[in-house]
Amino acid sequence: MKLLRAGQWITGLALLLLAGVYVRALAFTPVERMQGLAQKIFYLHVPAAIWAETAMILVGIASVFYLFLKDPRLDRFAAASAEVGAVFAVIILTTGPIWGKPIWGTWWSWDARLTLTLFLFLLYMGYLLLRNAVSDPGERARFSAVLGICGMVLVPFIHFSVYMFRTLHPMPIVLKPSSPSLPPAMLATWLMSLGVFTLLYVGFVMQRYGLSYLREQLELAGDGGRGRGEG
Amino acid sequence: METVPQNGGFMIAAYIITGAILLGYALSLYLRARRSLRP
Repeated sequence: MKLLRAGQWITGLALLLLAGVYVRALAFTPVERMQGLAQKIFYLHVPAAIWAETAMILVGIASVFYLFLKDPRLDRFAAASAEVGAVFAVIILTTGPIWGKPIWGTWWSWDARLTLTLFLFLLYMGYLLLRNAVSDPGERARFSAVLGICGMVLVPFIHFSVYMFRTLHPMPIVLKPSSPSLPPAMLATWLMSLGVFTLLYVGFVMQRYGLSYLREQLELAGDGGRGRGEG
Repeated sequence: METVPQNGGFMIAAYIITGAILLGYALSLYLRARRSLRP
């Protein structure tokens, strides 16, 4: 209960801060000369991508530990992280084409980075569908842990795909071994946005974890009809 | 003289869609919590 309430407060705060990021990005961050205003999609697209991928890595780590320890908290966390990661994956897959159209001249290209990101989204969907399809809690946790580990293995391929294949997608300009290739004002806005997306991830996961816990308590009390879909 | 591309509509669309997705998900979690906590 406490976790659920804390998650709601953190999410509320993060949404307020997101409004601040919107104001800073749209009104107080310089316009990039080559790409124009469309470049400002970067401040939402990249933090969402980082958290969609990190969420899957955390699902995988929790899943590995679950298979050894059988601790239901790890399974609950993996389920929460997967649902939130799926939300961020939807953001990447909508903002990406909207950015791509004016810059590349096409909404979509079947190159490695884009296709692997679509696979990540489909893996999230498969993971969530699997959790809803299996009713036995032990089997559900075990099967989804295996799928979660497969998802984690996919993430490095997404990140390094721009080095491994010829692709329309640009190389990383922030997450790379050398220093970020961004002017300080743009970097500050991006870091603010990354901080807000981090807070959103934490708030969402705390709420989703709390909901799963609540559902389990209701099921133990013999009331399985409420809070469905939180498995 | 070099001109900056006029593509502000794409930026506005991306910001509106992202806001709608995040607010929608936050609302969905809130409603699910309220339904689960109903006595």
